[in-house]
Parts: sequence; C-alpha cells; structure tokens
Amino acid sequence: MNNLLDTFLNLTVFAFIGLLVWLYFKPLPLDEDDRQDVKKITL
Amino acid sequence: MFTNRLLGVALVITGAIAAWGIIDTSSLAATSAYLVKVEFTAYAWFIMLTVSFLLITSIFLAVSRYGRIKLGQDDDEPEFSTVSWLSMLFAAGMGVGLLYWGTAEPLTHYLLISEFEDPRASASKALSMTNFHWGLHAWAIYALTGLVIAYFGFRLGCPSLVSAPIIKVFGVNRITRGVGWLCDLLAIVAIAIGLGGSVAMGVFQVKEGVDALFGLQDTGMTLTFGIFVVLCISYILPLTVDLGRGMAILSNAAMAIAGGLMIYILLFGPTHFIMGGIVQATGQYFDNVLSHGFRTFTFMDERVRDWFQNWTLTYMVWWLAWAPFVGVFIARISKGRTIREFICGVMLVPTIFSILWFGVFGGVGFHSILELNLPILDVVHENVSGVTFFVLSHFPLPSLTIAAVVVAAFLFIVTSVVSAAFVLGMFSTGGDLNPSSRIKLSWGVILGALGFVMILSGSIDAIKSIIALGAIPFVFIVLLLVVCLLKMLKKERFDAE
Repeated sequence: MNNLLDTFLNLTVFAFIGLLVWLYFKPLPLDEDDRQDVKKITL
Repeated sequence: MFTNRLLGVALVITGAIAAWGIIDTSSLAATSAYLVKVEFTAYAWFIMLTVSFLLITSIFLAVSRYGRIKLGQDDDEPEFSTVSWLSMLFAAGMGVGLLYWGTAEPLTHYLLISEFEDPRASASKALSMTNFHWGLHAWAIYALTGLVIAYFGFRLGCPSLVSAPIIKVFGVNRITRGVGWLCDLLAIVAIAIGLGGSVAMGVFQVKEGVDALFGLQDTGMTLTFGIFVVLCISYILPLTVDLGRGMAILSNAAMAIAGGLMIYILLFGPTHFIMGGIVQATGQYFDNVLSHGFRTFTFMDERVRDWFQNWTLTYMVWWLAWAPFVGVFIARISKGRTIREFICGVMLVPTIFSILWFGVFGGVGFHSILELNLPILDVVHENVSGVTFFVLSHFPLPSLTIAAVVVAAFLFIVTSVVSAAFVLGMFSTGGDLNPSSRIKLSWGVILGALGFVMILSGSIDAIKSIIALGAIPFVFIVLLLVVCLLKMLKKERFDAE
C-alpha cells in the first residue's frame, strides 16, 4: 500500500514537471493574438 | 465581508484547522506527522531538486542579460537609497526563528554528526549545515518569489497576488482563474499556519526567558498561556488603529536589540574562537553549497533520513511557504532596482547576516562544549527553548541580556503577526493595499487561534509537522510562478530585439 502511494505521489511530480515544460514552450496567448492580427492583415 | 468567496473559504479552512487542534491536539499533530512523513519520503528528491533549481535560476538571472531589466518602468528610480534598502533586507532576514535557533540548531546537528565523526570536526560540519538551512538556498526561494511579485507588479501593473502572474501569462479563462484562486487560497493557508508556528515558538521562548529571569520553576502551561494572552492584547491595537511608522519603529527596535546582542556575545565571549569558527564554517559552506543542495541522504540509515526530513526538508518547505509573505515585503521596497541588484541584495545580505549570527551563537555553544565542558547538550535534549538563555546565563549581566531576548522575541512576534494579518488581508481581498480593520482583525484572531493550537501541541516537532503539511503545495506553486516569470522575460527580450 505504501509503495502504491509512493508511486502515485511520484507520478504526480513527473506529470507536473511535464506540465511545466509544456507551459514553458507553449506560445503566450498574447502571441496568439498577435499572430491572428498578422493573419488578418496579410489576408 | 463574506461576499468575497476566497476570504470566506480561507477563514473557514484555517478556522477549522484551529478548531480541530483545540478540540483534539494530539490527533492533529499525529495526523500531520504521518502525512508529512509520507509526502517527504515521496517528494524528498523533488524538493531538493526544486530548491537547487531556484538557486541556479537566480544566479542565471543575475548574471545574464535579464539582470539589466528594471523592476518598474525603465525610467523608474529606486525609492530608497542603497544603504536603507540593504538594511531593510537585513531586517527581513531577522525574526524570532534566529533568536530561537541561534545556538540550539547547530548543537542539535552536532548531537547527530558527532556520533559518526570526531567531535571537533562535527562542530564545523554542524555550523555549515545550519548555514545551508538559512543561507543562499533559502534566500533564492525568497528572491525569486519576490522577483515574480515585483516584476509583474511594478513592470506589468498586476496586483500583488500569487495568482496575478498565472492569469497575466496564460490569459483569463476558467482554468487560469481556478488555478489562480487555488494558489491564492493555498498561499493564505500556508502563511497563516506558518505564522501560527512562529507565534508558538516565540511564546515558548519568552516563557523560558521569564522563567530564567525570575528563577521560576514548574510554571507549566499557566505562564505560557499568560504570555500568549498578553501577546494577543498587544497585537490587537495595531490591527485596529493605523500606527503609521509605529510598527516599523518596533521592528527596528527588535532588530537593534538582536544585533546588539550578537555584538555583545562576540566581544564578551571567546572572540577568536567564534571568528575562527565563522571563517571555517563559511569556507566549508561555500565549498559544498551547490552539491549540498542535491543531497537526499537516500543511502543513509533511517535515523539520518528522519533527521533530514525533520530539518532540511522542513526548512525548505517552510521557506517556500513563507515566500509570498516575505516576497511581498521585499518586492515593495525594491521598485526601481534592476533584477541583478535585487537578486544580489536579497540573496547575499541576509545570508551573510545569518552566517554571522549562527557563527556567533553556535560558536559560543561549541566553546561551551569543547573548551568549558558545560552541560549545554543536556539542555538541548531536555528543553530546546531554553538553550539561548543557558548560554546568556554564563555571560556578564545575564539579567539584562535575558530581558533583551525576551523583549526582542516579543516585539518580533507582534510585528510579524501585524504584517502577516496585513498580507493575508491583501491576498484575501484581491490585492487591496488597504484591507479594512475588520478583515485584518479576523486574520489576527485566526493567527492567534492557530498559535494557540501550536502551543497546545506543546512540542516543536509537532509544530514543524503542522507547518510542513500546509507548506508542501508551495513547492509546486513557486515552480509555476518561476515558469511564468521566465516566459515573460523571454517575451520581453524577444520584443526588445
């Protein structure tokens, strides 16, 4: 039981680190707005 | 007042913890000790990796091109002169914790280390270990959190809230609002519980001081509760009436007493022994500072691992939980500074002060053991709150110095509770810089109740467990805030280019 809990808690850490890496490289919402603006202008 | 959902939920949670502790103190202490043990066992590597990452990130930001960015608009100038700013940072590094643990912590580490090594080598290692707990890693946590609050507040115009960077960076939507709300709530709970622990530690120390001053014995909990009641009465007034600079004067007075005490011990104690110890422990600390941050003691026996959890991990999560509270303070006084100035000032000044403080108080403790053969280790075993007073009783004018510690500890607790009630009021009202007296008073009552619970638990270990339990979520929150900061800095540099 303890081992299961330990594994679960460590999995939450792995998932969190993955989330942080994804968030770091995810474009900012501001950048997306800028891109939409650029798209509109070029269209 | 309770139209604010965050304030209502935060008051209910902290109030419920306080009620649980008052009704069944031992069950709260046992439950938190169990949960902390499970979480520390699973997260030890992650906590140490996090604090090392924060230290390395701080150094990177200070030496990189980001270091030139101002915490404010480009033409903003610092509000305080460099000397006043550094002295205020110095004040942020002081607190009842230093008074309490000054001699007790190095000697507690010594007890364990001397079982494995030569006693004289153990003293230096114990001091170095204490420096690690109060040094660059601790202040890197505060520096980065303060930097996030200052950068988003002064440069990007966000409110001083834990949630503000998350919403600013990832936009306003249901997820960011929910995560931000949860982060604000957890910050409030962690600060409130942590402050409750400090109140209890301060009350224990004041009680020991009063015992030593008047030669009282077996006063038990009666005197402790009496001191607690006087403390509550003392902080209610500043919460209801704006004392303007009055609180700053009290805080400076406490700091001056503590600083004077350190110089007194250094000059009237074995000065060459203390200075030699400081230099040696400092060298040992800086020699191992980075590698020490990665030590998890995984291959050691259970007793060493327990010690690691009870000290190193508890301290690290404690600093993380206090980070929003201290971060708000150091951010508010740092408008107009560059990131480089901010990080160097925040990390170096309090670290140097802590090294001196523990070098002096720890050094005099080791002198008592190694040169004078005084039974100070028995005091550490039996009553850790009384160690400072045992040391002072072997110096000239003990009544005066013991009274000074009692006054300084009392003032530190009062000013901490008043500041914490203000920050909690601000966090729970969406960043209002002038929370109403009613809200501050509500937090004052909750902080008092939590302090009362910790006093009832009667044990420093129980207090540490309860604080650690509230603090663990902050490992995740601080990392999220740092990602927000790095993203915005990257964007700012990209826009500038």
